[in-house]
Amino acid sequence: MAERFIARVSDSAALMTRADELRKSGKVGDAIPLYLEALSDPPQAALCLKLARSYEELGNISEACRWALAVVDAEDDFTSWQAAARLVQRFPLEARPKQRIAKVALLGSYTTTQLGQMLSLAASRRGIRIEVQESQYGQYEQDIIDPNSRLYAFDPDFVVLAVHEGDLRLPEYSSAPQESIGVEVARWTALWRTVRERSRARVVQHNFAVPCDVPAGHLAARLPGSRYMMAQAVNARLGEEAGSAVSIVDCDRLSSFVGKARWFDPRFWHLAKQAVALEVVPMLARHTAAVIGADLGLSRKCLVLDLDNTLWGGVIAEDGLAGIKLGDGVDGEAFVAFQEYILKLKQKGVILAVCSKNNHGDAMLPFEKHPEMRLKRDDFAVFVANWEPKPQNIRRIAQELGIGMDALVFVDDNPVEREAMRQFAPEVEVVPIPEDPSYYLRALSQCLSFETSSYTQEDAARAEQYRARAKIRELESAAGSIEEFYQSLHMQAIVAPFDAVNLPRIAQLIGKTNQFNLTTKRHGIPQLESFVKDPRCIHLYLRLRDRFADHGLVALIIALQEGTVLDIDTWLMSCRVIGRTVEATIMEQVCRRAQELGCTSLRGTYIPSEKNAMAEEAYAKVGFDLAGRVDGQVTWTYDLLAKGPIVNRFVETVDAWEVKDGGA
Amino acid sequence: MEVHEQLEALFRDVFDDENLALSDETTARDIPKWDSLAHINLMFSIEQAFGVRFKGNELAEMKNIGELKQFLVSKGRG
Repeated sequence: MAERFIARVSDSAALMTRADELRKSGKVGDAIPLYLEALSDPPQAALCLKLARSYEELGNISEACRWALAVVDAEDDFTSWQAAARLVQRFPLEARPKQRIAKVALLGSYTTTQLGQMLSLAASRRGIRIEVQESQYGQYEQDIIDPNSRLYAFDPDFVVLAVHEGDLRLPEYSSAPQESIGVEVARWTALWRTVRERSRARVVQHNFAVPCDVPAGHLAARLPGSRYMMAQAVNARLGEEAGSAVSIVDCDRLSSFVGKARWFDPRFWHLAKQAVALEVVPMLARHTAAVIGADLGLSRKCLVLDLDNTLWGGVIAEDGLAGIKLGDGVDGEAFVAFQEYILKLKQKGVILAVCSKNNHGDAMLPFEKHPEMRLKRDDFAVFVANWEPKPQNIRRIAQELGIGMDALVFVDDNPVEREAMRQFAPEVEVVPIPEDPSYYLRALSQCLSFETSSYTQEDAARAEQYRARAKIRELESAAGSIEEFYQSLHMQAIVAPFDAVNLPRIAQLIGKTNQFNLTTKRHGIPQLESFVKDPRCIHLYLRLRDRFADHGLVALIIALQEGTVLDIDTWLMSCRVIGRTVEATIMEQVCRRAQELGCTSLRGTYIPSEKNAMAEEAYAKVGFDLAGRVDGQVTWTYDLLAKGPIVNRFVETVDAWEVKDGGA
Repeated sequence: MEVHEQLEALFRDVFDDENLALSDETTARDIPKWDSLAHINLMFSIEQAFGVRFKGNELAEMKNIGELKQFLVSKGRG
């Protein structure tokens, strides 16, 4: 995509040649600054590789690894990806960034070796270290059906069904299309079910890229019995059947996006049974990795936007209200379309923030006065307009929202700001925005970090909740004592055992909560289902609302009875309700149920992780006593007999939300 | 760059071997990593790097360097 690249092409070639010569003569250290100077935005894949190799020669493996992974952001260039994948494989594990680990079984109906290698690279870029097991060529059904197959011995976290349209068992024409479609859909859903029954793996299904070589021509589009229409129907039906239990990679959309004539290269199919052209394998790998990332709860949460030349054309402080481009003309319309797309992201649960170099008053002007603004001030949870460096401001935004820097995506038309962000806030994902505003929307739509695994009510309400949080911060500073502040929130909670309706959200929370998570055990849905069946298990979730917002399902606990002791296996809470005394409310209910089981004490464990330092004192704060420390693990105990149940008077526990007047 | 040097650089990338040297007589048998899978990757990489397109049967049969160079020269890429 040529329009994605920014200038400097001519001198960058000269710089690269000069750097290559230096490297050849052994002066690697001198070559690196020249390579860096030759970088464009997004970076050239070949250059990323050169940097990776140069740093490797210097023995700086962590930088080498960083640049090898940067190839993923650069271009979907097969040759560079292959080289980068091999480089990363070669680096010792300790040199790679901290990563989640996942075992992926790749079950294909075509040659998937290249996809497997590139999936590892793309996943690595997303912070997931995957171990891939490839099925024998075309053996996906046998592997799933045979209970003693390598698949089950591998014990994967994910089963990726990388299959192609040629594998659909559909005739070229069916006189009973509904029946033909039904039989084929049932074949796939039976495979999903078998995987779920026999393993803890989550199924990721590639749907079917429908080819465009259609013998019946345009007639096929109105013949429900044509293979062309039936294949599309199978895709639609599989989507319905998948629900929240199976993930889908929408290959039909991807192939349409790049063009079917590129996606299908018959030469490689005839030669090597490659059903997906090699040139698009990197893209397929990126998207599959993004879906796996979303299933692991690694989606980013907040979109941070610049204003001038990003949300409108021109500079508001100089051009004034009447001078900025918005609504009229090609660019004006493009900015409106971009704003409307951002609004749709917000509606699906992405939090919005502003980070602009402007006087606050100037920055607010279009929001207050411009009739063509689609985004309103209230759409943003945080609004920062000042003259501080952006990496500094973005830290502030993350803090105010109570989320990590690795949950942010940054959009700015200015390449200098983007570069500053990459250097000084490397955890933030930077979207490479092209020069032409007409292509902003596409650049953002190709950012895969907002992929989510399920769409829950919590997702839809999230933006509202974060805005409410920011309001609460204001209130916090205004209220007198902290007790008065808690009272003023009118907090109510529903605490109830896990049930089928809430299980997807519970699994999502377990997958992605890092900070207030005492043991960081990532139980999957099958494990949760077995907890629910166990009579010795106490499992509770908590929903919270206050006078500003319904915060949804934000905390949960899982504990197992061991004689008279109740041992807490999992206790976690979403960061957005920290500092609200919710901890004591869920413990209050745990105490009551423990008493009913005949327990006389509770035992809690804190297992330190990279990110959960904030929860270190959680048990102390609700009244537990320190019981011991072993290898960094801390054990806490609560004497239920002597102390009685924990009580929290700031949150009212209710069975259901009552209708209240004058809420927000 | 000469087509020979360009090819050599590409082979070094594809086979991840900085010291790999090519002659016109080099064939798939001379490079241990040049198996059927590597062959597919190699041919595709050559297409991308030189902006050429092999016919299906050429993809399958192009297994020595002299032939490859001839092909590239005939396409005006040498």
